[in-house]
Amino acid sequence: MRRSFPILVCFGFGTIMLAQFFIPSKLSTGAYNEITNWVQIIYAFALIVGVVGLIRYHLSRVSRRQGGWFFNLVTVSSLFMMAFLGFVWGRGDHSPFMWVFNNMMAPMQATVFSLLAFFVASAAYRGFVARNIEAFLLLFSAVMIMFGIASIGNSIPPFSDIANWILMNPSMTARRGIFIGVGLGTIAVSLRVILGVERTYLGKE
Amino acid sequence: MSIWEKAKTIDRRIIFLFMFLGVALPLLIRIGLPVSVTNDVKKVYDYIEGLEPGSIVLVSYDHDTGTLPEMLPMSDAILRHLFRNNIKVIGMALRAEGTGIGRQNIRRSGAEFGKIEGEDFVFLGFRPEITAAILGLGTSFERVFPKDDEGIPIRELPMMKDINNYGDIEMVISITDDDTPVYWVNYANARFKVKVVAGLTAVMATTFFPFIDSGQMVGMVAGLKGAAEYEKLIEKRGRAGRGMDAQSIAHLVMIGFIIIGNIAFIMRKRGK
Repeated sequence: MRRSFPILVCFGFGTIMLAQFFIPSKLSTGAYNEITNWVQIIYAFALIVGVVGLIRYHLSRVSRRQGGWFFNLVTVSSLFMMAFLGFVWGRGDHSPFMWVFNNMMAPMQATVFSLLAFFVASAAYRGFVARNIEAFLLLFSAVMIMFGIASIGNSIPPFSDIANWILMNPSMTARRGIFIGVGLGTIAVSLRVILGVERTYLGKE
Repeated sequence: MSIWEKAKTIDRRIIFLFMFLGVALPLLIRIGLPVSVTNDVKKVYDYIEGLEPGSIVLVSYDHDTGTLPEMLPMSDAILRHLFRNNIKVIGMALRAEGTGIGRQNIRRSGAEFGKIEGEDFVFLGFRPEITAAILGLGTSFERVFPKDDEGIPIRELPMMKDINNYGDIEMVISITDDDTPVYWVNYANARFKVKVVAGLTAVMATTFFPFIDSGQMVGMVAGLKGAAEYEKLIEKRGRAGRGMDAQSIAHLVMIGFIIIGNIAFIMRKRGK
């Protein structure tokens, strides 16, 4: 029962959602509206489960004084602090919540993201070498795109033309292939899940 | 140890220093490198330019704060164009962080053109679960967002009185740092035929060329470069223009290091 009931639920809802797309009617539209509402409600509860899981995980590390426990403490404290600021003073434009958002969270996240430029430069210098023909092609494409798309190269026709050709032909062809593959794969996996052939989402027996 | 052997073990802090100077100097000393407008950005501009005053456009903030420096100049440029042409804007977010970003962005840009919240623009807030939210808007905005971000029922907002679903808006602009526009294309464009535009980080651009080529998306504004192009089109140079100088020089620094790294590799190979 613990396994067959979820499979039945999955089959039922999967079939309804599939059918309503191809058979538009008042009944199917109503069912569709109701189900999309439920999905959002379930997702909201999943967020609560996520937050509880996060707090339990980090607090257990803090209580056991495991390596890096101080950062676990910072994570949990930040979570509670933001919730406290939001609940007490609201999320208005001049609230403490938005002050922390604008002056702490946004700059810190942007700083971490911008560090990528430094590490990519270092990694490219050491690792981006033309060891064989495939590596050379990759290297050539990357340099052409960087130069041809950056504003200096973009104003010099041979470079911008080469960069655009790479983007519009080999790159787009590969992307199309990937998208078609992903689409077919999604259909196959969805059918397997709906029909109960794919059961790994239920966990181990 | 030859110079090429030494090059192999160069202290990475030297690379970091060059990169830092490459980014910082153009921000301090304005270079004003030329920006040429690409077709995909021009398509977005032309489409908005063709909209009637009073048309409704939905702008969804689907990114977090990490990519804010790349996304904000783009949002600013697009919103300036929309407000300048007296187009009404519905803001929303499919990422929690997009709520704070979007609300402030729309209010700031709206204030620049003397627009009134509730009449010329609204901000509906955040909804989780991308697929359900996008599909739900196709049926009823009010069902997905009964109240706006301030807790005001959306039927009480003058601008929202006659807006029920995608059929009442002209287009969706998803400002994002991931593949959220794919969801907008799959669920809003394919099912409800609403026009979709993406404002993206540069790294995501190649994902969306096939969608523009197939006509499923109107166009896209990608990265700081796209934002700088848009600023050029609306004839108001802002943060993207200056950021492009820094980005271009950083690219050149990186290309320089790649070339040096390859020369060193070849010379070391020859020396063996």
